[in-house]
Amino acid sequence: MRGRLSTSGAVLVYGFGALILLFILAPLLVVISLSVSQAPFATFPPRGFTFDWFGRVIADEEFRHAFMVSVVLAVAATAASFALGLPAAYALNRWKVPGAAAMEAILLSPQIFPILITGLALLQFMASRGLRDAEMNLFIGHVLITLPYLVRTITASLKLVDRTLEEAARTLGAPPWRVFWLVTVPQIIPGIAAGCLFSFMISFDDFPISLWLADAQTVPLPIFLHSSMSRVFDPSIAAMSTLMILTGALAVIGLEKLVGLRRAMGI
Amino acid sequence: MAKPVDLALSGLSKHYGRNVAVEGVTLRIAAGELVALLGPSGCGKTTTLRMVAGLVEPSAGEILIGGMQVTKVPVHKRNIGMLFQNYALFPHLSIAQNVAFGLQMRGVGKAETAKRVADALALVQLGSFADRLPAALSGGQQQRVALARALVIEPSLLLLDEPLGALDKNLRESMQVELRQIQRRLGITAVLVTHDQEEAMTLADRIVIMRDGKLEQVGTPEEIYSQPATRFVAGFIGAANFLKGTVASRGAEGLAIALPGGGRLLLPTETQEAPLVAVRPEAIAIGPADGPLPGNGTPATVEQVVYRGQMTHLYMRLDDGEPLLAYLANRDGAAPDGAGMRVGERVMAHWPASANKVVRDN
Ligand SMILES: Nc1ncnc2c1ncn2[C@@H]1O[C@H](COP(=O)(O)OP(=O)(O)OP(=O)(O)O)[C@@H](O)[C@H]1O
Ligand SMILES: [Mg+2]
Repeated sequence: MRGRLSTSGAVLVYGFGALILLFILAPLLVVISLSVSQAPFATFPPRGFTFDWFGRVIADEEFRHAFMVSVVLAVAATAASFALGLPAAYALNRWKVPGAAAMEAILLSPQIFPILITGLALLQFMASRGLRDAEMNLFIGHVLITLPYLVRTITASLKLVDRTLEEAARTLGAPPWRVFWLVTVPQIIPGIAAGCLFSFMISFDDFPISLWLADAQTVPLPIFLHSSMSRVFDPSIAAMSTLMILTGALAVIGLEKLVGLRRAMGI
Repeated sequence: MAKPVDLALSGLSKHYGRNVAVEGVTLRIAAGELVALLGPSGCGKTTTLRMVAGLVEPSAGEILIGGMQVTKVPVHKRNIGMLFQNYALFPHLSIAQNVAFGLQMRGVGKAETAKRVADALALVQLGSFADRLPAALSGGQQQRVALARALVIEPSLLLLDEPLGALDKNLRESMQVELRQIQRRLGITAVLVTHDQEEAMTLADRIVIMRDGKLEQVGTPEEIYSQPATRFVAGFIGAANFLKGTVASRGAEGLAIALPGGGRLLLPTETQEAPLVAVRPEAIAIGPADGPLPGNGTPATVEQVVYRGQMTHLYMRLDDGEPLLAYLANRDGAAPDGAGMRVGERVMAHWPASANKVVRDN
């Protein structure tokens, strides 16, 4: 649709759109505004302007450690989910695998079950096996919840691949693996990128899995943030939250630079 | 260019469950020949071609390229050039990179690749487009790039699945000529799938008519048109009137057939029963209704007269209710044969004995 709106229609559409945006973004804006407030307590509306809280947060070694734990965890979980999800999605879509539908349902199921319960079940399982390496446990838990996003987005883009391009490549002498890398992958890059972005954000933001699997040495950022809430009352909490929001925004911008967000989202 | 090779199909079949797509196709295509597979939608043309390419695994039968058994050889080792209806250019690669793809797969060096790509693009007159992306080309140009991409690898066979189907009529006709010239010049063996009989006539050395997965008739365009083997072929290629009567007498000059509409035919055949006879509309001439009954002819009533420029199409009805169609040539300057014909008028349609084509009824 490329039609032009009448003036009153435009006012209505843009006005309504702005309201919805405000509804979605208002809590984030409150947090961001608090993070630069001079008041020593988190109060709204903010008073004055300062970056002191950011300085204080960044100077905090525990925060830095938690931030690094979360970034490394999100990158590692995303990389592993990609490495597992790409062949899984390809095999389920392209090969006659017996029970493919059931396997796909199982792969996607962590999206349906309550994550909190999944995390609890994981904890009990790992405890019963004597697996006490929190880093490894967190990694496994995060792969479990991020994998469905990659399988889903890659599956969706595989279904849109132009099969005659693959056939053309085969007739031109390309063996199967070169067809895959040279013809199929370039067509599904947007889906892969979108899946990786979702995966990164899901892991970076995860609370209900990490809640169970973290230990005193390995504390991901959301857990650290939550525990700080009960100790700290000044706007440094807001500064930490703002840094989390910024990380997400950076991931989105990075993706935009890499493949173009519109393509990645299939718009 | 590599030495042209021949292609042999023997008992080639493809079944999808209980659905028979292709059944027992046996065919030899000589080196350098261009053969068109022609037939109605769903008759198995594409499936046959894709089996030759290796994109579809045959249920039974064998494929030999240049005498070599390739039935079990995977696509990428068959050395085949294929053109698809939707061009199938790689959208993320430039024109030059598209054409270079097959050479890259063969590990051809950089300098030689550049030279061969340039030659191939020159062959299809698209040398100046090398750096563009496919999306910046018209449909006809894209298919010429696809042709260059298929030919640059010096394939043993060129397979074309309705390559011009997406182009408009004028462009299609000029591309047909270009395709034919290039195929001739390179002497490459080619199989063309089409459901456009004019395209098959224009391009092919021989035409293969397919029906319900089987071969119906194989021959040169002229053989197919002038000696159709079956009712299906006669009706599929051009138009035909079908006449069937009873044996009136057997004489020295052959079989005299009486038509139920009051007409008659003379056939030089030795059959017991009266066969089905096809008569092309352009073979029929029109005379006055009160003349004598000709050797091959029938009285008829004019139902419709359609002026078509070089021809006038005359739709008639025989006395037994069967239709009869005649194409009357309109020669410039001369009085048109179809002039003065009026709807409802009684006429005598007649044709030379050579126009009687005995066909199998199927
Ligand atoms: N993958 C498939 N699974 C099941 N049936 C198929 C498959 N491919 C083709 N067929 C069937 O095989 C028959 C022949 O198909 P084919 O595509 O070869 O026809 P065609 O002559 O190329 O027709 P068209 O002129 O419409 O392209 C059709 O009845 C079709 O439905
Ligand atoms: Mg077809």
